[in-house]
Amino acid sequence: MGESNEDIDQMFSNLLGEMDLLTQSLGVDTLPPPDPKPPRAEFNYSVGFKDLNESLNALEDQDLDALMADLVADISEAEQRTIQAQKESSQNQRPPASLEMPDFSGAGALGYGANVAAVSVSHYENDLPPPPADPMVDLPPPPPPPKPLSQEEEAAQAKADKIKLALEKLKEAKVKKLVVKVHMNDNSTKSLMVDERQLTRDVLDNLFEKTHCDCNVDWCLYEIYTELQIERIFEDHENVVEVLSDWTRDTENKVLFLEKEEKYAVFKNPQNFYLDNKGKKDGKKDGKETNEKMNAKNKESLLEESFCGSSIIVPELEGALYLKEDGKKSWKRRYFLLRASGIYYVPKGKTKTSRDLACFIQFKNVNIYYGIQCKMRYKAPTDYCFVLKHPQIQKESQYIKYLCCDDARTLNQWVMGIRIAKYGKTLFDNYQRAVERAGLASRWTNLGPASAAPPSTGLKAGTTQANGQIPQAVHSVSAVLEEAQRHAETAKDKKPAFGNHDPGAPRAHQLPKSSLPPPPPVRRSSDVCGSPATVPRAKGPRGGFPAPPDDSLPPPPPPPPLEDDELPPPPPDFNDGPPDFVPPPPPSFAGEAGSQLPPPPPPPPAPAPEAPKPPPVGVKRPPAPPKRKENPGPPGGGGSGEQDFMSDLMKALQKKRGNMS
Amino acid sequence: MAGMKTATGDYIDSSWELRVFVGEEDPEAESVTLRVTGESHIGGVLLKIVEEIKRKQDWSDHAIWWEQKKQWLLQTHWTLDKYGILADARLFFGPQHRPIILRLPNRRALRLRASFSQPLFQAVAAICRLLSIRHPEELSLLRAPEKKEKKKKDKEPEEELYDLTKVVLAGGVAPALFRGMPAHFSDSAQTEACYHMLSRPQPPPDPALLQRLPRPSSLLDKTQLHSRWLDSSRCLMQQGITAGDMLWLRFKYYSFFDLDPKTDPVRLTQLYEQARWDVLLEETDCTEEEMMVFAALQYHINKLSQSGEVGEPTGTDPGLDDLDAALNNLEVKLEGSAATDVLDNLTTIPELKDYLRIFRPRKLTLKGYRQHWVVFKETTLSYYKSQDEAPGDPIQQLNLKGCEVVPDVNVSGQKFCIKLLVPSPEGMSEVYLRCQDEKQYAHWMAGCRLASKGRTMADSSYPSEVQAILAFLSLQRTGGGGSGGHPQGPDAAAEGLNPYGLVAPRFQRKFKAKQLTPRILEAHQNVAQLSLSEAQLRFIQAWQSLPDFGISYIVVRFKGSRKDEILGIANNRLIRIDLAVGDVVKTWRFSNMRQWNVNWDIRQVAIEFDEHINVAFSCVSASCRIVHEYIGGYIFLSTRERARGEELDEDLFLQLTGGHEAF
Repeated sequence: MGESNEDIDQMFSNLLGEMDLLTQSLGVDTLPPPDPKPPRAEFNYSVGFKDLNESLNALEDQDLDALMADLVADISEAEQRTIQAQKESSQNQRPPASLEMPDFSGAGALGYGANVAAVSVSHYENDLPPPPADPMVDLPPPPPPPKPLSQEEEAAQAKADKIKLALEKLKEAKVKKLVVKVHMNDNSTKSLMVDERQLTRDVLDNLFEKTHCDCNVDWCLYEIYTELQIERIFEDHENVVEVLSDWTRDTENKVLFLEKEEKYAVFKNPQNFYLDNKGKKDGKKDGKETNEKMNAKNKESLLEESFCGSSIIVPELEGALYLKEDGKKSWKRRYFLLRASGIYYVPKGKTKTSRDLACFIQFKNVNIYYGIQCKMRYKAPTDYCFVLKHPQIQKESQYIKYLCCDDARTLNQWVMGIRIAKYGKTLFDNYQRAVERAGLASRWTNLGPASAAPPSTGLKAGTTQANGQIPQAVHSVSAVLEEAQRHAETAKDKKPAFGNHDPGAPRAHQLPKSSLPPPPPVRRSSDVCGSPATVPRAKGPRGGFPAPPDDSLPPPPPPPPLEDDELPPPPPDFNDGPPDFVPPPPPSFAGEAGSQLPPPPPPPPAPAPEAPKPPPVGVKRPPAPPKRKENPGPPGGGGSGEQDFMSDLMKALQKKRGNMS
Repeated sequence: MAGMKTATGDYIDSSWELRVFVGEEDPEAESVTLRVTGESHIGGVLLKIVEEIKRKQDWSDHAIWWEQKKQWLLQTHWTLDKYGILADARLFFGPQHRPIILRLPNRRALRLRASFSQPLFQAVAAICRLLSIRHPEELSLLRAPEKKEKKKKDKEPEEELYDLTKVVLAGGVAPALFRGMPAHFSDSAQTEACYHMLSRPQPPPDPALLQRLPRPSSLLDKTQLHSRWLDSSRCLMQQGITAGDMLWLRFKYYSFFDLDPKTDPVRLTQLYEQARWDVLLEETDCTEEEMMVFAALQYHINKLSQSGEVGEPTGTDPGLDDLDAALNNLEVKLEGSAATDVLDNLTTIPELKDYLRIFRPRKLTLKGYRQHWVVFKETTLSYYKSQDEAPGDPIQQLNLKGCEVVPDVNVSGQKFCIKLLVPSPEGMSEVYLRCQDEKQYAHWMAGCRLASKGRTMADSSYPSEVQAILAFLSLQRTGGGGSGGHPQGPDAAAEGLNPYGLVAPRFQRKFKAKQLTPRILEAHQNVAQLSLSEAQLRFIQAWQSLPDFGISYIVVRFKGSRKDEILGIANNRLIRIDLAVGDVVKTWRFSNMRQWNVNWDIRQVAIEFDEHINVAFSCVSASCRIVHEYIGGYIFLSTRERARGEELDEDLFLQLTGGHEAF
């Protein structure tokens, strides 16, 4: 603890230095009058807790630390972005928009960064006036190129439109955070902070970090609706905050972190989903045998065929299911079919040809859940039920559809089939990423304790629509291309092999039968294309070590010396620090706040992190700096009358500290 | 040289006379007679013929066709003996490239020169190169169906025939782009028009035509098309095609490699057209919901191509570019004096406020629509008793994010309703908004739609959304009563579009046009933001995800079976289908296939799969060569890879699909 206290002080001084810089940079700008209206109410919201205090108290010391680290990271990130933004906006002045700008280029990053700055500032500096409503003005306007008036008139309207667009986008990028209580396998819970931009994948990575589990692909976030008795797996690309904000405040719903082999079952044994029907028709025994026998190569080619083509293939699924009648506890047996466009049923007296089918439901506005104990609750014929409902519906309603299957196998096929139809190729992409992550984790455990995988900023979130449905055409093009590219890469490697086969084959369709395992015609061809199928490639030579770009784990470098103009970008993610990273107290008294509260030991303009180190170097447990105690009390004088999150956080932190010492 | 004579005129060498007709196979054709020996080389014979004809002309494309053997004599270093030619051989000295009329996937006709001497595979590759369609291995030619006796004589108007016979393509080199099209198209206005025809989607067909065109009514009907495929390994001449014949160009193998809107405008468009006709003519069945999506995409594609917005947005992300520009502009603005005003203007999100009539269906209420003051701000709809109470608490507030928006419109009845299904924790609540007129409806409807996606009316797409709705309403007004009788020229404006041209004929019978329009409109809102090529791609993808997509049907008789059955061939599997019921009996996947053999004598195909599963069948509706070629073709296509891009392993293709056939 003592060590961390020392760290805290150092961090604190660093933080102050950074804050100061930030405010300085703000000071340069023309600050518009503070906007009195919208305090960010949502920030107080936490999921899985009755109220905020509870949630904060529930945060373990460690978590609090992490939380603080998160916040600190935000600041440095924001700072970096702001600076980058400045640079870029000045770049943008040059007439030819340079196309080779780095990744962060473009106003997307710029606006985003500016916004982050605004938000985080508002949270930390209670005593400061709320940030400008419009983050745009954070940008110091570099001298604009002089423009002839005549042009302006003409372009005025266009400009206005564009600015509108820009502001709209910036507003959309408001960053919101939730404290989420996650239930673990062992009945314990963990609280963690989830930021609006984080996808399930990021949260899982975070949890991997905290739990030191084996990181295999089956780990998932799992939501349980206690009241409705339904549950489902979070898809890795879903935005966690978005899903959780559909819950009501007094909800009994829970988020779990556990292993579910159903999550990616289709990618492990695609034959169970894609080839099952045919197996059944031959007689159950026969079908099962062939299914289990399917070798890895065939699985790969089946997956490639189903998910890597120009459009994905939804498993052919049809059969009689029981449908719960609206508002009643009676169940009706109907013949249902799954198509890419939705679930259909065969109306009475009709055949199952496409033209006769009636649409039962389309997937755009519904999520798929497993029903729990429907037999007892709704008198379902079996307990193998699945449920379709709009994610926002939280109470019993006639708009929730219950379907019941004969056995578990059928249930799993339907649920997976519907997920494939709804999410398309994204599901496969998620899986590949999970595999990469799992491979990475196993690699890192050999090298030492993994440090935190930084949450990717969730830039992808933009592609998902309201309900997590992926607009297929739009992004699949690039996805397909990408896939094809990789395909080509591996294929290149395999080329020689193909050459070997080729000249020998005398007449293509009459295959050489000499060798014991005769290369079947297709195999021969698939030597080129099929066999290096994509999935496990991630594990293989290619995916083995190289970390996915955003998973790079640089050791957190010491805060760089701060200079006015040129800031070397801070480490990509500050919260990457060692797990026992101790957060510094929040900088709620930086900058102008200094008038009310004495500044902390390090003077605001901290050029070097080392300099302000408090005297008690040798002492392991320095007393907490005095103002730490003063600070948490008043909830900040600023315009916000409501309970402030940061001060609560501080209080909780304080309490813990107090208990310790 | 052959033809040495004594003084008396007797030939002293073993030479003999060879008669060669000049021109295409026409018994009346002029002929030349040459003196040759068995040792004469074909090249020498050719020279002699040209000398004999004594006409100045480019003969380079000419070669000798041996009629009895159905064979071109293309090996100029071979001797007559080696070919086995005797004096009784009927030989024709004619051009290797001859004009044919091609019926393209978009149903337009195009005249061009095709090779009559190369294997069809190469001839198609050359045609595709001319049309700038990549991956010619996916396409092939079919014989045109035989015309039934014409009941209505000269009813059909003379159609426009595009002509590319004069265009010569530099061999080997990929055509360079010039003025946005392959250089060889930019020669004349005619060829340019031809390129537009190739690369832009055609307007929807006349509904009456759609009614008239033959549609398959059963699986058996669907097998007929596949009996007409030409043989890839033999040349056109060998397959009895003569100059000027009509042939269909179609995508034969449903495995489309590397579709790229940037490099493939013609390919994408033609594929879209084939998919569109496939859906419209019910070759591939779809459900009602799917048909509405197809119709909406067609409407959207047609609108874009009519309005000439063919050019794709350049740059990576228009949004980002805009933002860039916006930031620049903002800085400019901030410098100016009116900064705050401007910002105020820009940051306020437009609102809608008006008196609307609202209806909330509830159990046991008979109340109808009641007038309310409604305020629509951001994504939230609030309504009040009257305008005066607006500052206070609303009667109800609905957040439209994630809601379902359904139009309920009848233009002729002046009914403009918006049905909202708003999700809430308790379930969905149903609300109807009734607007007074089209204009009001369009604004509120566009707002609702954006709100359901979580966006506000400040979104840049709002004005265009309003316009789209107005356009669609006017469509309903003009096309509403149409029963499909009006002939529609190719340049009919989008506004006058008849919704019946967008759906398969069975929906023409099922729905009235005014019922159809709102449903298409509803589906359209999900695709309205797509660009032309994105929309085409989306159409193709939706087509590909139909369960019956890409299956070629052939009537076969399985060994040991007493009745005919259907064999379906898809890109990854063979399907045995019951002829009468249409049920799938059994599926075999190509990935489990070990070998297949064709016994040409008894016309039987035998296939061996893993685990000693053997299947044999004889082909009824098409020759077994067509089945063989389909299987081999799909195997070939699965070997493709991007690295080898342009060059096509033709030998492998011919190995996989060729074979002997007893003549």
